[in-house]
Amino acid sequence: MNEFDKLFRNYHRRLFLYTLKFIDNESDALDIVQNVFIAIWENGKYLQNEGLVQAYLFNAVKNSCFNYLKHQKIVRKYEQDSILLNEMELIYYQSGEKSLIETESLKQITDAINSLPLIYSEVVSLSRIDGLKNHEIAEKLNISIRTVETRIYRALSALKEKISQKSFFILLNMSGVRK
Amino acid sequence: MKDKEYIENLIARSLNGNCTSEEILKLRAWIDESLDNRNEYLALKDIWDTTRVQKDCSEEQLSLFYQKQIEKITRSRTRWIKYSSAIAAILVAGLFISTLIFPKSEIRSAGFQIYTVPLGSRSSVVLADGTEVCLNSGSELKYSSDFSANDRVVYLSGEGFFHVKSDQKHPFIVKAPDFEVKVTGTQFNVCTYSDNKFSSAALAEGHIQLKMNGMKDFFEVNPGEKFKLDRVTQKYIIEAADIESELAWKDGEFIFKKIPFPDLVQRLERWYDVKLNYSGKDLQNFSFTGRFKNQETIWQVLDALKLISPIDYKKTTFREFTIIYKPLKME
Repeated sequence: MNEFDKLFRNYHRRLFLYTLKFIDNESDALDIVQNVFIAIWENGKYLQNEGLVQAYLFNAVKNSCFNYLKHQKIVRKYEQDSILLNEMELIYYQSGEKSLIETESLKQITDAINSLPLIYSEVVSLSRIDGLKNHEIAEKLNISIRTVETRIYRALSALKEKISQKSFFILLNMSGVRK
Repeated sequence: MKDKEYIENLIARSLNGNCTSEEILKLRAWIDESLDNRNEYLALKDIWDTTRVQKDCSEEQLSLFYQKQIEKITRSRTRWIKYSSAIAAILVAGLFISTLIFPKSEIRSAGFQIYTVPLGSRSSVVLADGTEVCLNSGSELKYSSDFSANDRVVYLSGEGFFHVKSDQKHPFIVKAPDFEVKVTGTQFNVCTYSDNKFSSAALAEGHIQLKMNGMKDFFEVNPGEKFKLDRVTQKYIIEAADIESELAWKDGEFIFKKIPFPDLVQRLERWYDVKLNYSGKDLQNFSFTGRFKNQETIWQVLDALKLISPIDYKKTTFREFTIIYKPLKME
């Protein structure tokens, strides 16, 4: 009904998730997303066509993250290395590369995880749904951390495989068109 | 091969574990080795990031968003004023120009001279006795062809600011639909739009005498005071007034302090010659404070209001808007 509310509901979750790619602090990430919405509300850009708006939102988030990381580099000197890694990733996306978060339906990806063999989907969901770190998963499943890591890697490789097989892509894109 | 396995574990650790900074440096070195490595890492991390199941908090965040917008009004009215004057500084257009293009029209009829000012415009007249009258949007000033320095009577509907040429012997009389004002030399504002609930007269300088229709006695209004009449009940009060905002319109400014939403709508409609529709009682409880230089377009004014209050608007037809109440969601 209201254009702005609709936009907020459609994009908030994605933008939040996207912000978390580069920033591990949830409350800072939420602030960044809020501020991006405030900006688009104030400048009225949300009334433009959806493609432009989407690009605007993701770019605004990227730029905010960039500034945030720049600041973090000064504040958190001792974690320089991981910040630099995040920054490298961010620059990659600023160059125009798109994340699955931006291009794909999130539900399809969760569905794809569930289609993995149990030993893989299990570790993924323990981390992604229950929020456990690798050593906690190892304890819970009574396996070594190395095994957890290996399974996570294999799970991701398998998903990557599925995605590059295109069938996954086509499936996702079709649901994107219907929307 | 052992090396590859090490990197695989390192990637998984960096995604969901605790990497030492030494390990991060190793990972980084591997990533920098080739574009393939980099793309591999970024693709895996992207999938990983995408699979994160986050409680959807968009509704809470949307409420928070509106809450913040509301806070902006209460937190600082001055900032709001700054904001609107900032717009004004950028824009030069609007009313001033329309005044030039559509000057007041002057009609002589049945021994009367009539000045009318269209909606969305302002104008001023100098009368034969040297009195200056500024007329606000949608006003009409009428006086007999016999008007002279000796017989100073005018009829006003709408809003006018009078700077009356001083003459103790010949009082200047403004006849409004509900009352008349008698002065000798002074500056005052009379607001008597027929569609307003209240009529008023506010005094900037000197003193005025005022008489309600059908009454015999005049009473006095002092500088800084305002006579306010409820046209329906015919009850009136004389109260201290903010003369600056009462008179701001004649300098092309639009100042309102704590006025209820319906009044604001009415003033905007007249000011911009638009129709603003709204429904529901919710909006009526809001009061507004602000200052416009009157060079903003109606769009900009509505955008500014939208920013500080829980409303949204839509253009419906030519010169017509619908204002929608958009409440905070308390969930």
